[in-house]
Amino acid sequence: MESHPENEAAIEEACLLAQVGAGNREAFRLLYARYSAPLFSLAIRLVGDVGDAEEMLQDAFVKIWRHAASYDSRKSRPFTWAVTIMRRTCFDLLRKRRRLPMTAPLAADAGALPGYSSGETVRREAEAREDSERLLGALADSPPIQRRALELALFSGMTQSEIAQHLEQPVGTVKSWIRRGLLDLRTTLNDSAP
Amino acid sequence: MNSQIEELACLYVLDRLDASERAAFEARLQNDPQLAALVGGLESALARRIRALPQREPPSSLLARIEARINRLPACGTASPAPVSAPGWALGARWGIAAVIAASVGTVAFLNLRRTADSVRPFVIIVGLDSRQSTLAELPFHQPPQNADARFIQLASLAEQFWEKPEDLPVKMGPAGQGGRGYALFDPGSNQGFIAIQRLPAIEQGKRYHLWLLDTISGQIRDAGVLPVTEPTRGLYFFSVAPASGAKPGRLDFFVTAEDASAHDSGQPRGKVVLGDRSI
Repeated sequence: MESHPENEAAIEEACLLAQVGAGNREAFRLLYARYSAPLFSLAIRLVGDVGDAEEMLQDAFVKIWRHAASYDSRKSRPFTWAVTIMRRTCFDLLRKRRRLPMTAPLAADAGALPGYSSGETVRREAEAREDSERLLGALADSPPIQRRALELALFSGMTQSEIAQHLEQPVGTVKSWIRRGLLDLRTTLNDSAP
Repeated sequence: MNSQIEELACLYVLDRLDASERAAFEARLQNDPQLAALVGGLESALARRIRALPQREPPSSLLARIEARINRLPACGTASPAPVSAPGWALGARWGIAAVIAASVGTVAFLNLRRTADSVRPFVIIVGLDSRQSTLAELPFHQPPQNADARFIQLASLAEQFWEKPEDLPVKMGPAGQGGRGYALFDPGSNQGFIAIQRLPAIEQGKRYHLWLLDTISGQIRDAGVLPVTEPTRGLYFFSVAPASGAKPGRLDFFVTAEDASAHDSGQPRGKVVLGDRSI
């Protein structure tokens, strides 16, 4: 396997996390610089409110600080680990409020939110738009209900049973859709990686 | 790879396995490079899907708020980072494995450094002020700050904490009454501090409140600036002073005077003391 830029970034981030685990505040800031925008964007998507998303991002980064020492690079990539913390934090809030997460359809992502736009953000937004367009284009052929099942698995706090109930399909079918959807996503994005 | 394993891998990446399923899957993951490669690919797809969301930067003040919260966390015991070995997603990146190992070595070095630093942990001086006397206490920093920003954030967090809960102060502010009442926090390492005013006696028109720092051993007085208040209201104010001249500074104290607003700053107090004590 060749060294890929994503792998290199993940290795750097694993190093940063190891340093954060040892109490290195500078490493924490570097990690924040890398992760805050995608995690904040994810939180907005999950909780549907910018103010709540700010609170969730704070909570998530405090957890990252506290638990960085227990991060194990054999189990997941650093970004996946941080995403898991972010999602769990948001789902906890939504459960407390007994509110369903935002489950806007995939196409809704195409419209960017207004607000803060640094040069770096503009660059990232452009990359994100490209990825999003590629994603939308490539997944257009897959069955809409399969896409929907994957979106619910990614961006809602619903269990698989709840997703099945929501889509009025057997659990086994939904599991199969989610698997197929994620594998298709991997093939689509990885084949078209820049 | 069969569809059952693929399904488990998808559910793992989506954080949809329960604790026992997750533990069993992770055990397998560590011994199955093919499975690790599949999970790595799925994680990559998930990451790119999330990065394909409309990106939005959090407010620039959020990091400082997070760090202030971290500063308030109780001190942790000795950190014991999980072993950092070559993960499945790093296979083939030889330098990467070296870098990860280097990070773990760096971690150990950092922990050793931190233990050494604990013995000379920087501290904050807290002075309780009233119209007649001052009381003083020293409080170590919550954790040794790594740089000037971190140092300031710890100081500011402490000031904010005592402002919200003055009952936690390790010094006395004097009884409630007509006189002045407040306290100051000062970091001798950065020469920065905060003064909290609970009450100030009213002063004549044309006067202004001026803060001073006094070394009670040498008698040296440092100008900490004009307080941005014109009436005896409550408030928490930041200040900084020039570094002390001379060798070892002695016990520090603070006081506030009522200075003539039209007079040139002489760098020395001339007005009446309205808060704290300037006697040596």
